[in-house]
Amino acid sequence: MIESQMVETNAAGWVECRVGDFHLETSWEIQPGQVLVLFGPSGAGKSTTLRAIAGLLRPVRGRIEVGGQVVYDSGHGTWVPTHERRLGYLTQQYHLFPHLKVAANIAFGLPDRNSPAGRERVSELSSLFQLKGLEERYPWELSGGQQQRVALARALASRPAMLLLDEPFASLDAELRRSLRRELRAMLAQSPVPVMLVTHDREEALALGDSVQVINEGRTLVTGDPLEVLGQPGQGRVARLVGVENLFDLAVQERNPRDGTMTCVGPGLQLEVPLDSHVSGGSGPEGEQDRVTVGIRASDIILAKEDLAGSSARNRLPGQVVSVESRPPGYAVTLNCGNVGDCGQPLRCHITGAALEEMGIRTGQRLWAVFKASSCFLVDEERV
Amino acid sequence: MATVGSLGRLRNHPAGILGGGGAVLYVLFIGLPVIALLVQAAQQSDFLAAVTGDAALTALRLSLLTSIISMAVVVTLGTPFAYLLARSDNTWARVVDSMVELPLVLPPVVAGVAMLMAFGRNGLIGPGLENIGITIPFTTTAVVFAQIFVASPFFIRAAKLGFQSVAKDYEDIAQTLGVSPWWTFFRITLPLAAPAMFTGLGLAWARALSEFGATMMFAGNLTGETQTMPLAIMSAMETSLDGALALSVMLLAGSILVLALLGLLTRRTWQGR
Repeated sequence: MIESQMVETNAAGWVECRVGDFHLETSWEIQPGQVLVLFGPSGAGKSTTLRAIAGLLRPVRGRIEVGGQVVYDSGHGTWVPTHERRLGYLTQQYHLFPHLKVAANIAFGLPDRNSPAGRERVSELSSLFQLKGLEERYPWELSGGQQQRVALARALASRPAMLLLDEPFASLDAELRRSLRRELRAMLAQSPVPVMLVTHDREEALALGDSVQVINEGRTLVTGDPLEVLGQPGQGRVARLVGVENLFDLAVQERNPRDGTMTCVGPGLQLEVPLDSHVSGGSGPEGEQDRVTVGIRASDIILAKEDLAGSSARNRLPGQVVSVESRPPGYAVTLNCGNVGDCGQPLRCHITGAALEEMGIRTGQRLWAVFKASSCFLVDEERV
Repeated sequence: MATVGSLGRLRNHPAGILGGGGAVLYVLFIGLPVIALLVQAAQQSDFLAAVTGDAALTALRLSLLTSIISMAVVVTLGTPFAYLLARSDNTWARVVDSMVELPLVLPPVVAGVAMLMAFGRNGLIGPGLENIGITIPFTTTAVVFAQIFVASPFFIRAAKLGFQSVAKDYEDIAQTLGVSPWWTFFRITLPLAAPAMFTGLGLAWARALSEFGATMMFAGNLTGETQTMPLAIMSAMETSLDGALALSVMLLAGSILVLALLGLLTRRTWQGR
């Protein structure tokens, strides 16, 4: 079976790379069976990191360890070529070898591919990835999802010591992406190898990541738990990179240490948000005009037709629907909200298609946006 | 089906009218001489005797032998060279790349004269070669030299394009799967570039078989030694039309065979339409 022959070793390293003008500095450590998600916009250096680990690109300096073996160490002049690094490397375009049938693609890296043992391994992998009956097909005769399964099976065939996944599901539809993620998770539970996954899809990072490393312009901004980093990111730059839909620049009006909240105001808005004890860099606690940046995720906001006055939610804002856009799998509704004065602020909310239909939401309609104080999080704006 | 559909759509397009006229003229222009050659040859009483005659067979044997040797040299040395050209993009590679095109635009007669100036008795390195016992001009070796000179660009260019069409990512992936760069070349790059290489080989072979000008200048016209089929046709024209016709029909058959083989070898079973 697969698991018994897996060597359980972690993967770690650091590299400095230079590609033209681009400069990358990063480090990582991944436990067996854990997924480290590299998250960031395109051109951030995510794929460069993977290519450096795979030995497809030579770093300026660094140290890379895969499967208990040092494959690169600039200090000792160590350089193990790609084909001796025992990696599984998956790309967005799969790159199945077009002249080889499915079985030959899966078996490509097996030294014993023509022996009974090799054939046994191929058949084992084809049943694991639901490819039975497709072995004699050429890659162009497969659907996108099947192609990705073949690529995954091929990468795993020779039992790599580390998996490098470069936006592996990006060219598949949402439904397929979710089922392949489940399969990958199940596969990892069976054969625990360290995995480094590149994505710029938040949902994917949350679904697959055990930890997330946010990268931008060749620098690591933060590493941590996916829910914390992507859900309520503490840094302004990170918040923008991970796509926090609502960010408000507000002034602190009153702190209520008893409730652990504070009241903040801005043009047209008054919000109850968590107390800013962990936010550094502000002026003294008495300075009532402290500025804070407050983030609210669009999916944390509830829309209601009436004021939910009897509810526990601390924030209830009346507003008018400005736009409704399709945002698969649901919809994004933008309200012009305000609970102070006449002017308002745009507030983005994500709701499901069913909710949109049931409430009959259309532009111009008046609605209430409701969310808890704890759904608001303070973002540490860098003060340069 | 797809062809019929696109022709139908082109019916009212300028290309449909002018292109159609052009196509008819072209088919006549190429087809008429070919048919005339076959008809005239068939009317010759001793056509078969000429085809199986000593002169014809000697020339045929020499043509096959020299072209096979030159193709072997072109493929063996040209393949790694073409791969290098396809994968490098520095200034030197571009200079060398444009040199590959030179024999394509150079008149073969000039190529023959130039080779004579290099390897001839009074040439640049000819005397030196003669001192160590190597004589090239007016030998079978000279025939091979002439063929390589004029025919190699057809193969090298096609092979280069073939290698360029193989994305570097395939090679990268193959190596992450534990396959050495050497084996990656034989298991991925070569098979994927093969259709283009066969096309180039076919064209180069046809060009080598039909080589005339450079051979004439550099190798001469010695029966059994340097007189290939095209040269034999020229010589035969001076004495008997029969012999010339027979040899021509043989070369024509050879060309059609090359075309058919090409079609067969470049068909990819692994790609959808």
